[in-house]
Amino acid sequence: MFTYSLQGLELSAAEAGPIEVEENETTARSAVYQFFGGWFATAPADLFDQAAEGKWVAGLTEAASLLPFGFAIGPVEVPAGADAASFAADHERVLGGGALLGGGGRADREAEIAAVRREYEYFGLAASDAAPRPADHLATELDFLQYLCFREAATPSPRLATSFRRAQRDFLDAHVLDWVPGLVASAGRGAGPLVGWTLDQLAAFVSADRAYVAERLGG
Amino acid sequence: MGEGDAAPPASAGDRPGTGATADDYRSRWTWERVTWGTHCLNCLAGCPYRVFSRDGEVAFEEQAGTIDPVASGVPDMNPLGCQKGGAWSAQLSSEDRVLHPLRRVGERGSGKWEQITWEEALAEVAEAVVAVLDEDGPEAVVFEESVEGGLLAQAPFLRLAALLGAVTLDANGLVNDLPTGQHLTFGKFSCASTVDDTFLADVLLLWHSNPAYTSIPYHHFISEARYRGAQVVAIAPDYNASAVGSDLYVPVRPGTDAALALAMCRVVLDEDLWDRQFVLTQTDLPLLVRSDTGRYLRQRDLRAGGDEETFHLWDRAGGLTAAPRGTLDLGTLDPVLEGPFTVTLADGTEVEVVTVLDLLRRHLGVYAPEDAAAICGVPASTIRRLAHLVAGRRVKILEGFNGPKYFHGDLMERSMCLVLALTGNWGRPGTGIQGLALAGLDGYLLFSMKTRPGVEETARVLDGIDQAMAQMRKRDPDATDEMLGNQLLALATSSGTAAPPVFFNYHHAGYDETWNRPEWSDPTMTKPFGDYLRDALRRGWWGGVARPGASTPPRVLFTVGTNPMRRARGGRAKLVDTLWPKLDKVVVVDFRMSATALQADLVLPAAMQYERVNVQYPITHMLRLAFSDAATPPRGEARTEWEIFSALARTIAERAVAVGLDEYDDARRQTRHAARLGEDFDLGGQLSGEEMVLDEWVRDSADAGTLPPGSSVERLRRDGSIRFTGLGTFAPGLSVAADVRDDEVMTAFRWHVEQHLPYPTLTRRAQFYIDHPWFLEAGEQLPTHKEPPRMGGEYPLVLTSGHSRWTVHSIGMGNRHLLGTHRGRPLVVMSEEDAAARGVAEGEKVRVSNDHGAFEAMVRVTGRVRPGQVIVYNGFEPHMFRRWEGANEVEPGMVKWLHLVGKYGHLRYLPFGWQPVPADRAVFVEVAAVPAGGGVDR
Repeated sequence: MFTYSLQGLELSAAEAGPIEVEENETTARSAVYQFFGGWFATAPADLFDQAAEGKWVAGLTEAASLLPFGFAIGPVEVPAGADAASFAADHERVLGGGALLGGGGRADREAEIAAVRREYEYFGLAASDAAPRPADHLATELDFLQYLCFREAATPSPRLATSFRRAQRDFLDAHVLDWVPGLVASAGRGAGPLVGWTLDQLAAFVSADRAYVAERLGG
Repeated sequence: MGEGDAAPPASAGDRPGTGATADDYRSRWTWERVTWGTHCLNCLAGCPYRVFSRDGEVAFEEQAGTIDPVASGVPDMNPLGCQKGGAWSAQLSSEDRVLHPLRRVGERGSGKWEQITWEEALAEVAEAVVAVLDEDGPEAVVFEESVEGGLLAQAPFLRLAALLGAVTLDANGLVNDLPTGQHLTFGKFSCASTVDDTFLADVLLLWHSNPAYTSIPYHHFISEARYRGAQVVAIAPDYNASAVGSDLYVPVRPGTDAALALAMCRVVLDEDLWDRQFVLTQTDLPLLVRSDTGRYLRQRDLRAGGDEETFHLWDRAGGLTAAPRGTLDLGTLDPVLEGPFTVTLADGTEVEVVTVLDLLRRHLGVYAPEDAAAICGVPASTIRRLAHLVAGRRVKILEGFNGPKYFHGDLMERSMCLVLALTGNWGRPGTGIQGLALAGLDGYLLFSMKTRPGVEETARVLDGIDQAMAQMRKRDPDATDEMLGNQLLALATSSGTAAPPVFFNYHHAGYDETWNRPEWSDPTMTKPFGDYLRDALRRGWWGGVARPGASTPPRVLFTVGTNPMRRARGGRAKLVDTLWPKLDKVVVVDFRMSATALQADLVLPAAMQYERVNVQYPITHMLRLAFSDAATPPRGEARTEWEIFSALARTIAERAVAVGLDEYDDARRQTRHAARLGEDFDLGGQLSGEEMVLDEWVRDSADAGTLPPGSSVERLRRDGSIRFTGLGTFAPGLSVAADVRDDEVMTAFRWHVEQHLPYPTLTRRAQFYIDHPWFLEAGEQLPTHKEPPRMGGEYPLVLTSGHSRWTVHSIGMGNRHLLGTHRGRPLVVMSEEDAAARGVAEGEKVRVSNDHGAFEAMVRVTGRVRPGQVIVYNGFEPHMFRRWEGANEVEPGMVKWLHLVGKYGHLRYLPFGWQPVPADRAVFVEVAAVPAGGGVDR
């Protein structure tokens, strides 16, 4: 069974509390978004421990096991001598301590935040005022995609399932793919192997997922 | 000069003595911010403009010209716009602008006002409304429905009216843009293609329209069609501006267009120029009619318990055969078009039946071109030329809204549609009839059905609609989605707020006296109008919508952007003298001091386009949702309608609670919750404002397939407008009966012609024979010519009208730029012959009068108006005339009794659709010079 949980978003109107559905291709996509959302929402020190324990590959492999499209998960190579401090330094250097993960460097950030908040609102969520991240943070956006996939899997309404699927494509186009590939290309060039692995995996996944969703929607 | 161009020496542009320099001039066209804008001009366009502002003020606007080409080889729609839109910003600071809430302190119409606070204004309105709810019920609270001002101006007051259980007077019944003849023929009235389809026509008939004045953004397609080789024919009594650019001008006597069209039909049939296959598949002409009764042969005639709505044709091989109801495809059937035949009825008697075509041929016997020429004034040779021109070619009629405003405009339209039918001219590119052009924006239509925002609620409502339609389809498996959509709308209407104004006007506004004057009505009526009206009500043809009832006088009237004092046929006597005394409170929400505002008790200032977000009413002409942004804050204390009516809802709730009126029952015995009005209005705060509401509409429309996926206000703000991807789930979108493709012009009725989907008429075919007993009594079962009734009395001149070039309705009458493009005052346009006969010279004052009333204005003498005709263009405010008496003083506003028919297939009320509407064309008048010293100032 797959259970979704949201870190940066709140349910504003629909069901509250954990909901379980049978695992399938769509919950797998939700789980992968959940994995990446969790990664970008986690403190560097905790992330390093997980990497060292092999949890990154294991976690992503498990999440992706039912994916309906090919997604190669490369190995994580923890450099000799690396520790939490060096990872945190790389994280800080590459991602600005998380600062680069919000807004995609847009000139009109205020408008972007308003736009994504409205997206969340229309689909039954609210950006939590108590959340530690802004509404346009990468972790929040991935959280939203996790939610959309889950709702597609959970709803008994074919009409609503299509609506959630369309929303995934549109949100990827308007709010993820318009800045994440650039972030990965620019930040990833100088990244160490751990941060670089994550960025590469994310870029590959959102690209493949976009193609898959578009195909299911007929273009 | 571009921004980077070098400026000339300052002295080159200086104006000596004024202190103004060339730099001052240049600074006029500088800006800090650019937003999108469009206008609420009531012109069936939503032209994207760029709005340039600086220092919190709009500096200027310009046509954007950003519409992508659609179809290869077809000109694009750019630049879209006209001088009216280009001068919009001048109106922001117009002297007639209302900037603060105003309360009348003198007699109504005295012009004495005091400025009050919003709180005071809302409290006063709320007090009046609550008193009425308590004493008379919500039916005594009446709103004039409007399409003016855009969707975000309309939706808030409709929402409040629905929550109150009040009455909203149907906008089309008020303004009369209803193409009744199209509805009688096709079962629907919004049959327009996109305007680029004009380019694909071989023949364009400008018939009852003057697009050079009224369709400026689209007019280039007519010129471009001519370059392509199309022939343009202007059919009009006067040599209007559109006739100038035509290949052929056909001067028809006012009100006789049906005779002209029917004579063309006669030639087409006599010379065997007609499209037999089209007639067979698309029309009712093959159907059988009983010679003894004049009624269609129905299944129930043939066997006991037979169906009332199954009709018949005569198959060459199989004889008498039921006509298919689920498709227009005749399959192997080969209907015989010429009778008579003999059939045996259920009781064993034999009767003769003939086809509708038989009856039509017989009927057209009196419309030989020579006979018709004597009626319509068009030479027989020209009639034949026209008939030969339209046969075998792609013909499109550009109609506009003039035809429906004739008393017998329905007969004219039915005759024009018959021309198209016989020549196979709809449902193919470059054909059809272009009139009312409504497109359904699903999100807007869903709005009132949603109890919370968001996509899940949208899905719930749409799933509910699907289920309801599935249930209805079980009862009628042959029904199309369009028909089921109409049924659903009829159900909603019976419990909604919409009401055809004819009953309101008859019972409460003094029209009973006028409409019961037989000498101003049709001579084939066998009893007074009032008897027909009561008969229609007694038979339940208008069940649930004839509101407020005769015993419930209205007490509070809201007008939101409408202007009945300018618009209402019948003039001041109907409103000021008859209706107004019944009203406790007249509340006007407007951005300008209209003629109605001048007669109000309270005037509430509304924000204008450029001061608020809005979208225009979606139309098929351009098939785009056009967005207007807030370039500047509203001037003064102006507010948007959302702000006004959400605040009013809360204030009414507070007032109701204060007087102990937490709940009340409406006339339908539905309990209304006054105490909850505020929270019901904005769903407990979930609708946080109008931009969020608009975003819901846009996203819901995308979800329903009307707009592209990913559509949002954000995208509108980026692109200015969005092209539709479909026509939606609801009427009226479905009535266009066409797919929307991103690389094709959209041609209405393709589903009927290409997919053989039946029409939503009684016979499920384009119906030219209406066998309702009232139509039979009137001799109008087939399209026919009738002379216009002598509305106004026995006078020698015929008054007609039309929209002017410089404004649609009165909205531009305070625009100093537009007023400067003409004489800036009302004009009576008449012929040189008539003027000379009356001793009237160009520019003098004249008095126009008849038995109904009189008005005075300046005369314009011209050679382009035919003798016997007088034109007063539409839109002048009454206070632009002497004594505030305008052209509607001479217009009785007669309505046609046959339009009271209901429960006959497609002849039933749906909002904006089938209903009696007032006529104001072909009113009979006399014109006389006003003695020196009297009349208008010059």
